Amino acid sequence: MLDFWLFFRVLVFPGFTFILFLTLFCDWVERKIEARMQSRVGPAIAGPAGILQPLADFIKLLTKEEIIPRDAKKNVFRIAPLVAFSVMVFAICFLPIDGSSAISSSGFVGDLIVVMALVTVANFLLFMSGWASANPYGDIGAARVLTQFLGYDIPLFLLALTPAFLAGSLTISIIAANQYLPFIILAPWGFVLFIVALQAELEKDPFDIPHADSEVVGGLETEYCGGKLAFLHLTRDVQIVLGAALVVELFLGGPYGPVFFGLPAFWYSLWFVLKLLVVVMITEYVTCLFARMRIDQVLTANWRVLLPLSVLSLVLTVAMATYVYPMVV
Amino acid sequence: MSKLATWARLKSPWVLHFNSGACNGCDIEVVALLTPRYDVERFGIKLEPSPRHADVLLVTGSVTQQCAERLKRIYDQMPEPKFVVAIGACACSGGVFKGNYNVLNGVDQVIPVNAYIPGCPPKPEAIIDGVVKLLNSLKPEKPAKGEKKK
Amino acid sequence: MSKKEIDMLSVLQSKFEGTSVQVRPEQLGKAEVIADASTHRDVLKAMLEADEKTAVIAITGIDLGATIGVFYHIRTSETGIITIKVEVPKEEPQIKTITDLMPGATFDEMEVNDLLGVVFEGNPSLGRLVLPDNWPDGVYPLRKDAKLDNLQFKPTPPSEPEPAGNENIVKVIVGPQHPALLEPEKFVLKVEGEIVKDVEPRIGYVHRGIEKATESRTYLQDVYLVERICGICNACHASCFVETVEKILKTEVPPRAKYIRTVLLELNRLHSHLLTLGHAGLEIGFETLFQYFWRDREPIMDITEIISGNRVISSGMTVGGVRRDINEADIPKIKGRLTDLKKKLPFYKNVYEDEPSIKMRMKNVGTLKREDALKLCIVGPTARGSGVDIDVRKDEPYEAYGEIPFKLITYNEGDTWARMNVRMDEVEESINIIEYALDNLPAGPFRVRVPRVVIAGEAVSRVEAPRGELFYYLKSNGTAYPERVKVRTPTFANIPAFLATAIGSSIADVPPNFVSLDPCFSCTDR
Repeated sequence: MLDFWLFFRVLVFPGFTFILFLTLFCDWVERKIEARMQSRVGPAIAGPAGILQPLADFIKLLTKEEIIPRDAKKNVFRIAPLVAFSVMVFAICFLPIDGSSAISSSGFVGDLIVVMALVTVANFLLFMSGWASANPYGDIGAARVLTQFLGYDIPLFLLALTPAFLAGSLTISIIAANQYLPFIILAPWGFVLFIVALQAELEKDPFDIPHADSEVVGGLETEYCGGKLAFLHLTRDVQIVLGAALVVELFLGGPYGPVFFGLPAFWYSLWFVLKLLVVVMITEYVTCLFARMRIDQVLTANWRVLLPLSVLSLVLTVAMATYVYPMVV
Repeated sequence: MSKLATWARLKSPWVLHFNSGACNGCDIEVVALLTPRYDVERFGIKLEPSPRHADVLLVTGSVTQQCAERLKRIYDQMPEPKFVVAIGACACSGGVFKGNYNVLNGVDQVIPVNAYIPGCPPKPEAIIDGVVKLLNSLKPEKPAKGEKKK
Repeated sequence: MSKKEIDMLSVLQSKFEGTSVQVRPEQLGKAEVIADASTHRDVLKAMLEADEKTAVIAITGIDLGATIGVFYHIRTSETGIITIKVEVPKEEPQIKTITDLMPGATFDEMEVNDLLGVVFEGNPSLGRLVLPDNWPDGVYPLRKDAKLDNLQFKPTPPSEPEPAGNENIVKVIVGPQHPALLEPEKFVLKVEGEIVKDVEPRIGYVHRGIEKATESRTYLQDVYLVERICGICNACHASCFVETVEKILKTEVPPRAKYIRTVLLELNRLHSHLLTLGHAGLEIGFETLFQYFWRDREPIMDITEIISGNRVISSGMTVGGVRRDINEADIPKIKGRLTDLKKKLPFYKNVYEDEPSIKMRMKNVGTLKREDALKLCIVGPTARGSGVDIDVRKDEPYEAYGEIPFKLITYNEGDTWARMNVRMDEVEESINIIEYALDNLPAGPFRVRVPRVVIAGEAVSRVEAPRGELFYYLKSNGTAYPERVKVRTPTFANIPAFLATAIGSSIADVPPNFVSLDPCFSCTDR
């Protein structure tokens, strides 16, 4: 039996279409913040205040000629960007946006782990697209992507366990709903470290190496053009939305907030978007303020600094939750 | 649908800059376009690192022998639709180096040019003016793809 | 730094008394030494033994008819340039190399080989330097009898196959079109993992044949041509050229013109240093710093426009003075912009000295030791960052620099961080020099008329361009056209520094290292 309501939720709201437009909107927000911090104006003529700029970029790329290098591994080259994008969008569908997620109304046990695994798969597909492009810069860029996300996945996951522990569940919707006091207050160290690990996962300054223009030209995107390039860019942008959404769900209380009148779903979506924008702004400010680290410095920072700190953070949270908070909260 | 495509192309021209043997005067004015005083990101112009990502090729310099082949190759690597802008007196016609033994006199000896921006070097305002004129020429009233505009 | 007072001339005169080597003081600058192909190495050895700061500035090749002249221009720790002149027969132009004594002369010899056909025996890297790969054999552009119309270019040679050997070595080709480089040049980096094992440069992409072109234009036209060797340091090229002409003509340039020239030269230095400091930010991924520096560089371009009418290529110099006077009414505007820039300097200075991400990327990167800097004949802020205190403005003052007080900036660390800080401090010194010059601008004419036809003679001249010592040699033959103009630009001398410091470093260190040497390839290739 056809469930029109499910199709609507998955394809339009809060599913694919909503995520696509939210991604384009966040891209605009990021570019404006970066421009303002650099004392510039940023996109200004495509639509009012340049808000249609990311859409124009996307459409323009779709209308360009498709070129496939002779030595590239053609099937992987064609498909990897699209699949990476789909996997990322699929991962977002697990997150409650208007009170319940696109796919199910209450989630299932362990969907936090599923989301993290999907992110890893998507990053691996990005690596494959760089590897398949038969270009030395693509190879170097892809290798750097792999090194970086494999390394930072581990502390990211450990830090994601902190709110899981505080809420007593691995289900995202339960973690989001159980935040009478947002976990950013109960475990601020977790929040800060998670943002740092997220910068690395999202490959933004200071962990920007896979996209270092001056060293690897276009990185894994060097040989791509046209529609496939559009999807590679979108994958990166959707990843930013996914990362920010995870922070919102895990630390900022998810979409839940005061409901003033009318449909709760409307208010929940509004709070979700507002909190998302706050996180996007934080990550963008950090990007503007730092230079790029060298690859060996990135690896040192991960294995020698971030990993031990995330373990410590988990231990500290467990200790606080077992002994301190029951007395206070 | 093609109106949407034209709109998108007008609002998002991505640029690749290539120096084919210039004195750097024009190049620093091109890089100055990205800086706060001129800020061409307002027009959606982004400086791209790879020829495959770019729509508009900005060429400076009077094309030395050694660069001629590279210039042609970069032009071939760009996907359609693509445009070429020759910036500076040297790129237009050889400039002060016209007739030297290692110099081909101007970019149009190697690849087709869509817009010429004279000057030595042209002020960033002049470069913006030239690029905007090129973009306006793409609007449906005047089909000007490939037509030279001085 | 104490300058040992070695009287090089008396050392040479006493050593070569009675031999075929003649030492002629007061000719061509400080002195010329007439030697031949068998004795030039002995002269150089004698000079090296007497003074450790002996360095080759340039090697000029000149077609003298039946012979080809090979002139070695040498600088010592004393003021002035000593030129060793050697002539070799045109049919068999061979001469022994000096690269074992002075490794920094490698590129100079390659250039004379490329453009004039002189074979330097013992130089391991003779090959194409500035001419393209498909240049026909046997055509030497700088020879007077070279036929340059209807050149038959060879088909481009295919890129050489991978040598059988270590499969771990990946060839990363940087350029000719690369976002890190504003200009086209090709550097082939042989990389193993992330460590650079070897660097092969191929320059010549910007070679426009300017030295040959100067011979077919009048002196005044050449001022405009020579300015466009490099848009960034254009005033330095113009001023060095007109200085050599004025030396031959023995013209007395009026003091007001000297001060105005100093102002234009320092404006050049200011905008170039701010450009590099911002560009360095771009290379290490610090876009915000790049935008801020270039935003604050714009007032300098405005000042250049107020004085000369053009933002970049000021065209202010002419033989005998400057083309336009500075309007007294403009001086407050100029000083206002300089004061604003000065107020922002402490912020930038703080960034380059203390900002952790900059220190992370620039400290101990590309370290060049003092002895290597001396051996490789490095000039400019690159040398001053390694503790070598050379600066033409202090060593051989020209224009108004002898009368204006300023500090010579050196740092001893020798790494990228030190080189960038040298430039940062020089920005403040430049602003002070301009303010002093504007406050003390002498009254009087701003140019004198000079004859169009220049009497026969030769002269050398040096100027401290933003990147280092810029050197010109000019020979005139009594007509309205120069006989030979030789330009040796600072980046040409500094490329060996990049090659030496890049090998053994990580590939991610190559861009900041590269920018800290501040390369300008349009200067290098001419």
